[in-house]
Amino acid sequence: MQTTAAPRGLGAVLRRDPTAPWRHLDWPLLGAALAIATLSLLMVFSATRTSLAEAGEDPYAQLKRQAAFLALGLVVMAVVVAIDYRTYRDFAAMGYLTAVGLLVLVLTPLGTEVNAAQSWFQLGSFQLQPAELAKLAVIVVLAAICSSGRSPLARQRLVVCTAITGLPAVLVLLQPDMGSMLVLVAILLGVLVVAGARARHLAALVTIGVLAVVAMFHFDQVDDYQRERLTDFARSGKETGRGSGFQGEQAETAIGAGGLFGKGLYEGTQTKLGFVPEQQTDFIFTVVGEELGFAGSATLVVLYGVIIWRVWRTALLAKDSFGTLVCAGVLAMLLFQVFENLGMSMGIMPITGLPLPLLSYGGSSMVTTCAALGLVLNVHMRRFS
Amino acid sequence: MTADSPRLRLGIVAVVAVSLFAALFARLWFLQVLTAGEHELAAERNQQRVVPLPAPRGRILDRDGEVLVANRASNVVLIDRAELNTLEDGEAEAVFARLGAIVDQPPSMLEAALADTTLGPFTPVPVAEDVDEEVLVEVRERQSELPGVQARQLAVRAYPHGTLAAHVLGYVGAINAEELDAAGGPDAPAGYRRASRIGKDGIERAFEDDLRGVDGEVVLEVDADNVPIRELSRREPVQGDDVVLSLDLEAQQAAEQSLAEGMVKTQRHRDPESGEPVIFGGSTVVLDVKEGTVAAMASWPTFNPADFIYEITPEQFAALTDPAQGTPFVNRALLGLYAPGSTWKLVTALAGMEAGLIDPLATINDPGVYTIPDCARGCGRQNAGRAAYKDVDLRRAITVSSDTYFYDLGARMWQQRERLGETPMQDMASLLGFGTKTGVGLPVEAAGRLASPAVRAAQYEANPDAFLSGDWFIGDNVNLAIGQGDVAVTPIQLANAYATFATGGTRYQPNLALRVQDQDGTLIREIEPRVGAQVELPAGARDPVLDGLIGATQSADPKGTAYNAFAGFPHEAYPVAGKTGTAQTGGDRRDDALFAAFAPAGDPRYAISVVMERAGFGSTWAAPVARSVLGSLSGLEEPEAVKPAAGGSRA
Repeated sequence: MQTTAAPRGLGAVLRRDPTAPWRHLDWPLLGAALAIATLSLLMVFSATRTSLAEAGEDPYAQLKRQAAFLALGLVVMAVVVAIDYRTYRDFAAMGYLTAVGLLVLVLTPLGTEVNAAQSWFQLGSFQLQPAELAKLAVIVVLAAICSSGRSPLARQRLVVCTAITGLPAVLVLLQPDMGSMLVLVAILLGVLVVAGARARHLAALVTIGVLAVVAMFHFDQVDDYQRERLTDFARSGKETGRGSGFQGEQAETAIGAGGLFGKGLYEGTQTKLGFVPEQQTDFIFTVVGEELGFAGSATLVVLYGVIIWRVWRTALLAKDSFGTLVCAGVLAMLLFQVFENLGMSMGIMPITGLPLPLLSYGGSSMVTTCAALGLVLNVHMRRFS
Repeated sequence: MTADSPRLRLGIVAVVAVSLFAALFARLWFLQVLTAGEHELAAERNQQRVVPLPAPRGRILDRDGEVLVANRASNVVLIDRAELNTLEDGEAEAVFARLGAIVDQPPSMLEAALADTTLGPFTPVPVAEDVDEEVLVEVRERQSELPGVQARQLAVRAYPHGTLAAHVLGYVGAINAEELDAAGGPDAPAGYRRASRIGKDGIERAFEDDLRGVDGEVVLEVDADNVPIRELSRREPVQGDDVVLSLDLEAQQAAEQSLAEGMVKTQRHRDPESGEPVIFGGSTVVLDVKEGTVAAMASWPTFNPADFIYEITPEQFAALTDPAQGTPFVNRALLGLYAPGSTWKLVTALAGMEAGLIDPLATINDPGVYTIPDCARGCGRQNAGRAAYKDVDLRRAITVSSDTYFYDLGARMWQQRERLGETPMQDMASLLGFGTKTGVGLPVEAAGRLASPAVRAAQYEANPDAFLSGDWFIGDNVNLAIGQGDVAVTPIQLANAYATFATGGTRYQPNLALRVQDQDGTLIREIEPRVGAQVELPAGARDPVLDGLIGATQSADPKGTAYNAFAGFPHEAYPVAGKTGTAQTGGDRRDDALFAAFAPAGDPRYAISVVMERAGFGSTWAAPVARSVLGSLSGLEEPEAVKPAAGGSRA
């Protein structure tokens, strides 16, 4: 292909420079993410069309919004990808402080309470969840701190990392949003493990965490509904009434009722008759389970597996340890959210309000996940430059 | 590779990630492949609600098609306690408050209604009945705020004639555990459900299978709030068949009204300890002797079957079974047990004829007193009021009710037991149907009591402490000869015995229904007369006994015991053959008044018995009631209020 003509345009640049970032876009990762996001449009539509129609609204309303969120997410992803990830390191502190500031602000009357949690800023007809931004900020700032030193990670640095994660974690818990708090803890653990924290330090950290949770329960610092959900899980959903066990039980029923091949798109009775609460958001997986069956849900889980694998691979291939740790943080975030969300839908994890990345209806989650994947794509394609 | 190698640490992350994904796959496999079936069922159950459509019951008609029991629509609000119990604390109270505002009742009343323990835990409890259509609509529209509350239109029983024939008709109620078990349980082909209604007594129970019909059902698709989305399938209920009774509305009305008028006048008793008034009851039975059916059956005091349309309260039920209030719930016609007194003389006379102890034309001297032969202690007997009837033959003995004549018969039967056997009277009584249920076909009936030497010996054997002796003495025979002592009969047995004599020996098992027909009037099933026994009456007995019985109502000299009660009766057109009776049933030495008769005497159509507890003389109290009823049946007398007859005596 190398011919006579002088380089002309981007295409020529790409052809000439094998290390050019655009040549190393991680297509499997992007493809898996796009596949899930596309499925999300179908599933959100299936979950919402009946109730919207019943309420006399446009049955496509939430589908359209989700499509808009996805478009926004892709734009954000493109922007994140376009700027060399190492640049973010310089803005880590600023991003972190902004996120913490927003987490404080959301607790003031500026924030809005939805489902008994003060987690949102209402911006026109859209809602912004600062906890999502905080996850990204924490990933970047932890990666920045841990990549600057030597391995094994010094104890002081470990304490600093814990403190840095702890501040937004406590603010998130005050909303209260236990799910996001746990994601932050997962990110901390993920980054610390990969950064080379000593096993005994990690063990101490985990012990302190467990003690903190026990203390919270003991001193009645957990909201009743959260306690109920957690203890319902322990009772394995034997409830028959409309208590909090109902949600989990109906979710399991929906997924199980799908069988091998599902009831077919829009044919899920649990879905269209509204037996699973919060179905377009936290319990979106039940729609996949009921309507697409084992074939569909297993494919979805495989797609998540592909994403996790590609993020992990990128962490391995990254040019520098900052890149590795950013990927580790993103991996921990996604892995925890996917496992917790699917786990609670299937009754093997307690119910906490966590969206399923890329699939659940909601702008903040979609944009955050796209941005996080953007970071990973960024690290991947700049591994030679 | 050292412990700090990033590769190794990422390896640890990979192991964690793979484990977690493996767990997800395993769980997914478990839910969607291994246990998919049960989840599918659960999802199906979730979305389907089967709403039973109870079949309207068939109607109950009198012999001419007059409606005695029909159906009407009632709007009812019910609460399902099982569903209410699944609510969280405080939520049930909120439901009561909301529902109370809709049905305009204090929430505490609703809660109190739920405390009813007579219903099973799965039977929805009615908390508001006969409410407006708007209430039903509102409850249904606000279903999501009212978990456990049901609004239904039910077909309930309607009684166009009020309490008429309540004991015969019976009532309908929610099926109980035993009845459901007896029907084979909730899933048996019989098709009863936990909330089914079932005939509990009377015709409603006896003809349950004809009356109940076939329930239908609607299968609804519902959403998570139990709000119906659409109908998946529907099977219409099929109304039950109508039962046409042998009862005649007018005869029944005459019987009930005459009995009630008479009974009300006899209420003068008070409880000896508390001094509170005590109500005693009575009964009258009219049999159609040609047809072998019941024409009227009345028991006083009575109850209102409409009280059972919804659930009866424990207080209501207690009142219905309270002896001081006359146990209105009990059908005395079938369950009341009374010493027959002089009405029994029919039995003694026939037994005496059969034994050859009576020459109908021969007279004995009745000085008014009688001494039992071969007797050690307590051997004196006397006629009612020590009346001396002088020379009495069989006819006269029946007409004036000479006790002495029958004492003598009873004594002679015992004296000649070697030849006659020990039980000629009991044997004749059995032939006439005493001591066994008539088999009229209602759920409960008493057999009565008919003692004999063998029975007494067996009783003594079984329980020596309860009896002075297991022996039968001549005095027992003397007492039995006038229907006293160890004998108890039901009003229907008494009427049926006189009916058997009236027909010349055909003893029916009286039917209460003529036929079963569908809603178009097409015959489903005819109910054939049932002959219980064909009794051969002793030769030559019919005429003198019949004359004696006619004399009791007609003869001025000697004066028949019911002559005053039947004064002015159209005897020519409608002769009545009857017998009064006055007997002590309880230990309180107060007399029950009895009367048994058939008419018209020449070609009998009806037999009647009247029993009035603790009323006094049969001639004074029971005969006028019978006269009133027979007057109506004859169509010859305008009904007028029953009043006690003058000049009555114990006889």
